[in-house]
Amino acid sequence: MKSNLFKYTAIAAFLVALLFSINSNAQEKDASNYDMSFEFKTIKQDDNTRLLEANFNGKNTEDRKDIIPMFNAEIKFFNVLNEEEVLLGTAKTSKEGIAQITLPENQKYLTDENGNINLIARFEGNDAVAESSAELIVKNIKLALNLEEIDSVKTVLVTAFTFDESGAEIPLEETDVIIYVQGMFSKMKIAEGTISEGAFEFEMPTDLPGDSKGNLTVFSIIEGNEQYGTVIQKKNIKWGVFQQKIKDTQNTLWSSAAPVWMYVVLTILLVGVWANYIYTIINLFKIKKEGQDLELEPES
Amino acid sequence: MKKNQTEEGGTDRRKFLKLGLMTSLTAIAGASIVTNLAAQEEEKEPEGEVIRLLTPEGKIVEVNASNINKYPEALVAPAESRIGIPDRKFVMVIDLAKCKNARKCVEECQKAHKLDDHQEFIKIQLISNNEEGQPYWFPKPCFHCDEPPCVIVCPTGATFKRDDGIVLVDNERCIGCKFCVTSCPYSARQFNWGHKEKFDDKSQPYSPETGVPAAEGTVMKCDFCPDLLRQGELPHCAKACPMGVIYFGDKNEDIVTNGEETVRFSQLINDRGGYRHLEHLGTKPNVYYLPAVNRQFPLERGFNVDEEIVERYKDVPYVKELKKQGKI
Amino acid sequence: MNIDTRKRELVKELSPMLEKSSLLSKIWIISLVSIILVGLYAFVLQLSNGHEVTGMRDNVVWGIYIVNFIFFVCLSYSGAFIAGVLHFFETPLKNSIARIVEITTVLSLIIGPIFILLCIGRLDRLYYLFIYSRIQSPISWDIIAILTDLIGCFVYLYLTFIPDLAILRDASKENAEVPNWRKKMYKFLAIGYQDTPTQHERLHKIIRIMSVMIIAMAVVAYSVLAWIFSLTVQPGWNSSIFAPYFIISGLYSGIAVIIIAMYIIRKFYKLEKYITKIHFVAGGVILLIFSLLYGYFTFSEYFSRWFSHKKHDVDLLNTLFSRYFWQFIFANYFGILMPIAILFFKKLRTVKLVTIAAIISVLGIWLNKYLIVVPTLETPYLPIQDTRAEFVHYSATWVEYSLSLTGIAAFCLFFTLILKFVPAIPMSGIIDLEKRKQSKRKKDNQLATEL
Repeated sequence: MKSNLFKYTAIAAFLVALLFSINSNAQEKDASNYDMSFEFKTIKQDDNTRLLEANFNGKNTEDRKDIIPMFNAEIKFFNVLNEEEVLLGTAKTSKEGIAQITLPENQKYLTDENGNINLIARFEGNDAVAESSAELIVKNIKLALNLEEIDSVKTVLVTAFTFDESGAEIPLEETDVIIYVQGMFSKMKIAEGTISEGAFEFEMPTDLPGDSKGNLTVFSIIEGNEQYGTVIQKKNIKWGVFQQKIKDTQNTLWSSAAPVWMYVVLTILLVGVWANYIYTIINLFKIKKEGQDLELEPES
Repeated sequence: MKKNQTEEGGTDRRKFLKLGLMTSLTAIAGASIVTNLAAQEEEKEPEGEVIRLLTPEGKIVEVNASNINKYPEALVAPAESRIGIPDRKFVMVIDLAKCKNARKCVEECQKAHKLDDHQEFIKIQLISNNEEGQPYWFPKPCFHCDEPPCVIVCPTGATFKRDDGIVLVDNERCIGCKFCVTSCPYSARQFNWGHKEKFDDKSQPYSPETGVPAAEGTVMKCDFCPDLLRQGELPHCAKACPMGVIYFGDKNEDIVTNGEETVRFSQLINDRGGYRHLEHLGTKPNVYYLPAVNRQFPLERGFNVDEEIVERYKDVPYVKELKKQGKI
Repeated sequence: MNIDTRKRELVKELSPMLEKSSLLSKIWIISLVSIILVGLYAFVLQLSNGHEVTGMRDNVVWGIYIVNFIFFVCLSYSGAFIAGVLHFFETPLKNSIARIVEITTVLSLIIGPIFILLCIGRLDRLYYLFIYSRIQSPISWDIIAILTDLIGCFVYLYLTFIPDLAILRDASKENAEVPNWRKKMYKFLAIGYQDTPTQHERLHKIIRIMSVMIIAMAVVAYSVLAWIFSLTVQPGWNSSIFAPYFIISGLYSGIAVIIIAMYIIRKFYKLEKYITKIHFVAGGVILLIFSLLYGYFTFSEYFSRWFSHKKHDVDLLNTLFSRYFWQFIFANYFGILMPIAILFFKKLRTVKLVTIAAIISVLGIWLNKYLIVVPTLETPYLPIQDTRAEFVHYSATWVEYSLSLTGIAAFCLFFTLILKFVPAIPMSGIIDLEKRKQSKRKKDNQLATEL
């Protein structure tokens, strides 16, 4: 008897367990074997606004190439000084795992004694995912790009300054800068150099075509610098030597309008042949008329 | 006697109750299993291409990848697709020194244009320059020639050359005479021989710039992905190549890029001796090749693919050698 | 001789062909119709399942349909050419076979384009060829040429029917055996032709002009067909002599088919009086001349490719001599040399042997056309790689074979039906011939009496 009971309970328990396990067999899978990775960077854009970007991904511990972006996670951006945290903004990660906020040019930051701005991007964390954060230290910088023709030589002039406490400009030293030209899909590097005494000069190549109107967009970018982050500056100028190759693409074999001589020949041939056919048909009608007249004659 | 009976009666009742309890539990469990399964079937499984995302709750979900046409406006209709993207002359440069038959270009293109496994817009040939040289992998998309033999012979104008250099096929005008397929010297075109279910998918209107959905009895080929070009992105094959073999760009602004490197087109061709295939036929192709010098990979690595794909190269003498030696 | 009585005699002699149908002809028609029905089923299958049911795939996209198209159209052009030449030169032999030649022309020109329609992927869009036409395309030229030629040959055929229809109409006026619908049909189609001198004169004038036009059209139209192939860059097709080569092969196959048709009609309708051995001997001589010309052109084609051994030509020749070895031998050696061997010797030019030579020629030409279309597509410039195995070679399926047979069956069927409508030998022609003999005799007598 008792064994019977056990048997029944065992079966019932098994069925109930099955019921629950099926329920949890939905589309969602556990992310327990994924390590969270959090990256944070800052870009000063050409209109002098500052972009803060956080990149939040999960990396598979077994397959390092399997990276899944975190979606819809709320990231908070702070400006810290000692213990004080000022919230600069919040953003949710996109389907690529990127959360961005843009701060205007006149944004006031708390700077430490060296003039550096401390920034933190943080994901608050919950039961399932631990808190993640990353910190940046960046110095405010002003990058200017000038395109001038000096002594009929097209020159690119890059000037860069940081600011001290009183707001005076301090020229930059020993910072790498790269000059790019904008293409349809990407930017093409045309020069690499170092800013010394706050300036960098470079002679522009004279054979770049630019776009169809001869416009060139020149970029000067400080990339991933430890002190300054990424700083971008751009300018448009009509230094392109684009020459429209005037090719006669009308009335060719592959255009929609054919070469003129084809139309002429075709018309001549067709008119000739069809004129003959019409002549034949006219004569047939004459034969018919004659036959009809003959038939009527005896009657009259 | 009576005690026995009551006892027996009591046991019977107990048995009955137990039985009833077990039955009801089983019934509930079974019913919920069934409804669960049914619910799972009714739940909308993500269709087509899916991407995996992590949620802040620590779960992995799959969602539909967004529509391949991310045009801000509606699609480019057939009549409008005959006018190209203004002031552009698209050109592609393929670096044969780096190609190792990874076939990511083939697969991405198949996914983007909803091709079957055995249809390829970009084919990988294994050719050699002469009998002495070793063969090399040769990705061959449509060359979008400047004097295209296929456009010349089309009787209805279903295939056309645009001002930006791209040659497209309008599947709503094509009558399927296959004259263009026979006149292309590079064998770049394919034909839809029968009806396929994917042709019935009317969820996005047809545009020659994407070629989706294709139509039965019409011709199709590589189209340089104008829908991506309009968004400032590289074609699928150029994006997908892990070695950066395929450079793409605009001849007018003289810049080509493979996603990582951006170089001047004229410099690339001049420094590396860029050439066009079968130049003497006078078709003026717009795909340039950089010769297979200083190859980055041994040729055998390209045979790390399915048996069926290796079979496709069985007539190449080099492959026959390898087979004899037992290496593949 | 009294023309009217002569006409009546002729009608009596030839009309049983039109009205009676023997058991043999019934069996013939029924078997043809059954072949056509199977073909119709194959066609419906192709329409509903798409071109997958054929053997054509991504590399060999043109198969037996195009081969049949070229073959039938080239038959027609030769027919037009020979009809025109015969009429233009007014040879006494011409009359017996003139109608057979003209009917061959028109029928093959109708059946040929039907094969091209079978090869088109989207038949529902056929009218695009007219509203969106591009005249740079050789296919547009081909459509214009074939349509114009078809109309021309049809009109020409009708013109030659008119005198006979008039004779039949007059003869059947009193004859109660002839059904009413036939009488009405003859009356309508003979358009009041009473064989008056002026009508006769006018009719023969326009026939003469049309015959010249037909010869010109034949040359233009068949060149255009050849240019569909030779204006591409493909190895094996891009040859400068393709247009003359196709014209010569057309004349060759046309004369062969006409000889075969002559043989069958002569045997079946018992027309030994009209289609004599002389016709077969003359046909044999013409076949010999054309086979020599055709052999010469074929040899030039392949010889120059072999000799200059350019890479892609050599690849093509390798395909021809490995995969298609026996077809090549039959088409270009046996198919040319056998007829030459038979026809070269006067003694061998009997009715039966000439017909056998003609049959060999026809088969040879068909295979030759196949060897022109398919092997080039199997050896393109870039080797066929990275394609699935079924796409590499071409082998026709039962659908294609059945539709080819349907085409031939339809040709025979319509031929038979037309011959139930007008006699195979133009009666007016016989009368004209005899008139001329009479006047010639009168002239000779006159001269004799004067002397």
